[in-house]
Amino acid sequence: MRRILHVVIISSVIAFTVLAAYALCVGGLGYELPPIEPRTLAKIYLSTTFNPSLRILSAMAPEAVTAIVWDYRGLDTVFETTVLYLAIIASIAIMRGIEHHEPYDEKKGMSIIGKTATKIIVPFIVGVAGAIALHGHLTPGGGFQGGATAAVAPLLVLVIFSVYFLEGIGLTKNRALVLRSTGLLGVGITSFIVFMIALIKGFNAFILQNQPKPYSPIGLPYAFNGNIIGGTLLLFNISEMLAVAAGFTILFILLAIPEEKVKKVISSQGESHG
Amino acid sequence: MTYILPYILMALAALGSIVAVYLAIIEKDLLKAALFSAIQSTLYALLYYLLMAPDIVLTYIPVAVGLYPAVLIFLIKKTERYEGES
Amino acid sequence: MVNIVVYLFTIVIMSMFVNIALALYGILARPSLIKKIIALTILGDSANTLAIIVGYRFAEPYPSPPVLTKLPPSKSDIQNFVSVAVDPLPQALVLTAIVIGLAVTLFLVFLTIQVYRLYGTTDVRKIAKLRG
Repeated sequence: MRRILHVVIISSVIAFTVLAAYALCVGGLGYELPPIEPRTLAKIYLSTTFNPSLRILSAMAPEAVTAIVWDYRGLDTVFETTVLYLAIIASIAIMRGIEHHEPYDEKKGMSIIGKTATKIIVPFIVGVAGAIALHGHLTPGGGFQGGATAAVAPLLVLVIFSVYFLEGIGLTKNRALVLRSTGLLGVGITSFIVFMIALIKGFNAFILQNQPKPYSPIGLPYAFNGNIIGGTLLLFNISEMLAVAAGFTILFILLAIPEEKVKKVISSQGESHG
Repeated sequence: MTYILPYILMALAALGSIVAVYLAIIEKDLLKAALFSAIQSTLYALLYYLLMAPDIVLTYIPVAVGLYPAVLIFLIKKTERYEGES
Repeated sequence: MVNIVVYLFTIVIMSMFVNIALALYGILARPSLIKKIIALTILGDSANTLAIIVGYRFAEPYPSPPVLTKLPPSKSDIQNFVSVAVDPLPQALVLTAIVIGLAVTLFLVFLTIQVYRLYGTTDVRKIAKLRG
């Protein structure tokens, strides 16, 4: 009975979608979908993303989306990194004061088949994530993509082995926090590097600058021995991958702590208030 | 004639995602709801590929098919599995 | 009769709106906190897809992603690229939106775990009755 009701509702929703789309098509929306000509702003971004004849206005990276994220609109990305940082700090503040140290032995975690398969797969995941992050200025990819893919590897290790295995290796929450701070320091230094070089040499410069621009004739090189390296985009991608992967590792370590260790902390806090 | 196969696949992926979203909202067993949400994310990843956005595909697949269901399963294990009961 | 390409594209846009409506119903009408989190992620993903659909364009035979493949390019290469590539700006903004949505959802998950530890339930009707 319930099943027939759900099937009737789903098919009526799909029929509504198909008929409403037909009504919208026949009635006319005012202009043609999908549009033939993009917006003027899109044409400007696409024609100046790698243009050796327009050297002053171009970002000298063949990948338009990475150039927009780190060069044309770099300030948006800096603020988004700040929002991610605030979320991680708030989560660490909620799960404070929990102690869990036990040695790791062979009986913890899943069976030996799962452990062997995970040992083979985890280096592949980290290698693919590094390749995605390092090629961010030439092919689709970049810092976030590489960092999110690299964050799957510690999650897999946490589920198949246990959280005590990571403590035994040495990847505790505090060390992951140090790695994340190193990545964020890299992002901060790279956004000021052209400014500092220009201050030393006596020119004018902007922050988050990549290539020479109309009022400031200094920038990082975009090609090295015939290979395109994209100026500051490469440094940004590497730092961002380290920061994002370490940040998600912190949250997964905090999530994987067993509940018995937490009950002592919560009950003792309740008694001190009560 | 113009190529209409990408557009047919786009329409099928969008209609399939409606089914997956409805099943995810209605389901009372929260583990199955997280699984339906992962199916919807896979259909959305196919839609992003057909809309010529490869950067978004590379971000969306590890985030919505890998991280979200894993975090939700951790959450369900620590709290309750069925909604509506005490 | 309508153009078949325009009709199929309009089906995609309408189904995104239907997904947003279903996810809003899921947030407002279901009593479990975990179901609300699931519906919130679906809402965010559907809104991001709508933003990417705005940046699509129609080209013969098919458009191309916004990546330049001929290096070093001549003037005619760049003009050819501008005439077939899709808009790169909505994709850059959606990239930011996905990461921010992930950060907020992870924080919500930690808050839900803390609510369960302190009150013993994740049903909002029971939590509302606990005042007093």
